[in-house]
Amino acid sequence: MSAYTALTGAGYRAQVRDKTTVFFTFAFPLIFLVVFGLVFRGRDVEESGFSYLSYTAAGVLSWGVANAAVFGIGFTLMQWRADDILRMIRMSPAPLASVIGSRYVLALGVGLVQSVLFVGVAMLPGFDLVPDSRWPLLFPVLVLGITTFLLLGVVIGSIADTPESVAAIANFLMLPMAFLSGSFFPLDAMPEWLQKISLVLPLRYLNDAVSAALVGRGDLSDIGVGCAGLVAFAVVFGVLAARLFRWTKTS
Amino acid sequence: MSSTSPTAGTDSEPAVSVRDVTKSYGGRRAVDGVSLDVRRGEFFGLLGPNGAGKSTLVEIMEGLRQADSGEVAVFGESPWPRNTGLLPRMGVQTQSSAFFVRLTVHEHLRTVAALFGADRAAVDSTLEAVGLGDRHDVRVDSLSGGQRQRLAIASALVHGPELIFLDEPTAALDPAGRRDLWEVLRGLKARGRTIVYTTHHLDEAEALCDRVGILVSGRLVVTDEPQRLIGTFGSGSRLLVPLGRIDEERAAALPGVDSVSVQGGHLVLETRATGRVLAALDPLTGLDGVQTRTPSLEDVYLDITTRQTDAPLASNNQEQQA
Repeated sequence: MSAYTALTGAGYRAQVRDKTTVFFTFAFPLIFLVVFGLVFRGRDVEESGFSYLSYTAAGVLSWGVANAAVFGIGFTLMQWRADDILRMIRMSPAPLASVIGSRYVLALGVGLVQSVLFVGVAMLPGFDLVPDSRWPLLFPVLVLGITTFLLLGVVIGSIADTPESVAAIANFLMLPMAFLSGSFFPLDAMPEWLQKISLVLPLRYLNDAVSAALVGRGDLSDIGVGCAGLVAFAVVFGVLAARLFRWTKTS
Repeated sequence: MSSTSPTAGTDSEPAVSVRDVTKSYGGRRAVDGVSLDVRRGEFFGLLGPNGAGKSTLVEIMEGLRQADSGEVAVFGESPWPRNTGLLPRMGVQTQSSAFFVRLTVHEHLRTVAALFGADRAAVDSTLEAVGLGDRHDVRVDSLSGGQRQRLAIASALVHGPELIFLDEPTAALDPAGRRDLWEVLRGLKARGRTIVYTTHHLDEAEALCDRVGILVSGRLVVTDEPQRLIGTFGSGSRLLVPLGRIDEERAAALPGVDSVSVQGGHLVLETRATGRVLAALDPLTGLDGVQTRTPSLEDVYLDITTRQTDAPLASNNQEQQA
């Protein structure tokens, strides 16, 4: 058994055996979908021709996937360092690529299940989401998004030394970002200066690309711009993560 | 493999060679000019008060930390930076918290084995060796303190390393568990493994170690076989004679007696020539009820560490620097 297979297996078991976290990881976005579905039932965003639900479905999906990626790796990394599991891995000959690879695959798996579940529910009668013909582009977009937010999670997990501080930092970044990037409320309905601010937030690019791919709001160039923005943030977070990463509590 | 004294071992290079290693944190020298060889097949005990620099020194040997100056070689190679060629030959005891969450004992050790590329059969035999053979399916989160410690030790041994670093391996074990682990450690030594370990149990170090080194304030004060340390630094034996058998003056005049004092219900004679004193005592008082106390490694350790701490060497005053 390779180090990669073993770590992926260990991570998978740890994940599915934590029923509470599993439930909330997948139920959280759905709860938002239901709430917004009820609140904005049958209403369209002015002058856009799109229903509120199609707006928020894309936004909530982006936010849910990004959130799970950030929190998942943030907590794991902090916990592994606090428990000296990182030290043990450091003292084994296992290649770093197998460690990173296993966490990456687990995060992609979570994102995939979240997306399938979310889109499936959103297509049910009552929500009536109709995926655009470009929906297969959702895969590369979400992979990029998960990569970017996973790296942000590594940054957070490297700074924070307690579960409380992981939650505090991650919430501090992710919650305001969700509102400012248009995940919960359509950006088009917000003042222009707020729309400008959103341009420096990575979630804005994921939102744009996801909504262009999922509900067809925007065209291929919007997906391209969204992906380019995500790559840029991934590079920034990647550099930060590499600089901040610590094998042990004391080094 | 032989289990004879380490000096009879191979003439080849030492398992670990530390040359004039120094490591500072801020202005404080955690390790201060330490030189040390651990021979192959040797059971080496690193002793010292808390904060003496033991962990730092061990982590430098393991290659987890870089020394500020000096040289470290493990099997002739530098362990720093992360040397993946060397790591499979070393086993490092993890903290008793370093378990993959929500896994069972067997799943955890299987994962560790895979990190080292060790085969699965080694997992069963290692769990058997540390006394966790009947705990395969217990979640790591629900193990007792002693069981956690055994699993942490198993994590260091599962890939069959030649050089094993153990950090207070018996700290959380009950007396029977300690003795069981001693047998495991002796078995490893009998198979030619080199063991470097830290402990606060001086009786244990005396019973297990071929040599011990005592570290005080970052400096290696002495390195020797436990018995020779006791012979060199031990303050002599003490003979306890029940009060009333012989008065203090006459006792002090006996050949070989260094000093006399009264402690509890006994007259205590300090001597470095136990045989002569006993021979002189026998015709005067008889030897019924006379007890002999020989110094232990603990006495020597306490003597050395308090002496060093009370009167630190001049070069230890680096702490004063900004």
